Amino acid sequence: MRQVLLLVALSSIPASAHHNFRSEFDINAPFTVAGTVTRVEWTNPHAWFYVDVKDAKGEVANWAMEMGSPNALMRAGWKRTSMNAGDAVSVEGYRSWDRKNTGNARSVILTKTGQRLFAASSAGK
Amino acid sequence: MTHRTVMAIAVLLLVSSVQAQWLGYPDKRVPRNADGTPNLGAPPPRTGDGRIDLSGVWEASDLQEGAPGGIESTYSPKYMINVMRDFKNGAPFQPWAAELFKQRQANKLRDNPSIQCLPLGVPRLVAYSHPYKIVQSPDLVVVLYESQTLFRQIFLDGRSHPKDAEPTWLGYSTGKWDGDTLVVETTGFNDKTWLDGLGHPHSDAMKVTERFRRRTVGQMDIEVVIDDPKAYTAPIRYTQPQELLPDSDLIEYVCNENAKPVGPGN
Repeated sequence: MRQVLLLVALSSIPASAHHNFRSEFDINAPFTVAGTVTRVEWTNPHAWFYVDVKDAKGEVANWAMEMGSPNALMRAGWKRTSMNAGDAVSVEGYRSWDRKNTGNARSVILTKTGQRLFAASSAGK
Repeated sequence: MTHRTVMAIAVLLLVSSVQAQWLGYPDKRVPRNADGTPNLGAPPPRTGDGRIDLSGVWEASDLQEGAPGGIESTYSPKYMINVMRDFKNGAPFQPWAAELFKQRQANKLRDNPSIQCLPLGVPRLVAYSHPYKIVQSPDLVVVLYESQTLFRQIFLDGRSHPKDAEPTWLGYSTGKWDGDTLVVETTGFNDKTWLDGLGHPHSDAMKVTERFRRRTVGQMDIEVVIDDPKAYTAPIRYTQPQELLPDSDLIEYVCNENAKPVGPGN
């Protein structure tokens, strides 16, 4: 089975968050984690997904990841079925100021067979 | 290539795969180039009575990246975050408005009404990155906002603003044509909305004048003048460009179906 990277550049979606990024997330605290999706909430005002991430000691923590609204994601090519529980993902994002294992996802790489939905990076960056 | 252009191309490429609601349904009113793509530089369409036709799905454009470490790390329309950005010496606050603004910063903007899924209001909807649809008739222009699935009526039938109006989030709007420009005046606001993402406040005495100028099929400018002497010592004036989203449509947006303002668990 051919492995295709499905890269969805969330950072290129205009800010349509219903809250201010700064009040929830620390732009100076980027992270990259890999794991398995346990749940996807395809809901407004933000889609959320949850990922089981194993640390160096082999301990698993469930991370909560915020994305844009489903409306913004659909306009960028996502469907509610683009990412599902059980999918292996690598997530880049920014940590919450005060909540453990919580982040704002900037990009998601879904390592399963699939079409390349949207991979254009933001112009000017 | 602008960021928005990249997005538009990506969405166009995805037309066959995106069946969500009516995204990608070709709009008969949009003129086409020989290759079938929308001719966004064509002159603006007109209605049967000769007025500029503002109808269509629009979104604030002129996206600019926020300062590193700033309030938004992502691109946003020029006046979404700060309507005072053109004031070299800062906002012309009245003292109470300056104090309230300071409190909102100290609170890390957590009392932003939109966190509670409350309406952004006028004029913030002019510079927000959610699409809206204009439906135009000779006596009434209706604006359908995807944000909070709100509607707004702009009456062109000669009526005056209501006296002692019940304050509302979007106010009471009347409009008239000045040549090819639709001039809309709105009063009767409550004082609960923010002017921008930074939390510049306003009072219930605010009057907002918007001038809608569709320059081409694909481009429209909305000039905003905020007159609020109770909150500011000078009018606030800015022009926020808008971009047509051709062959697109609104999507239902029920904000409070899963609002988690401070992350899961709270």
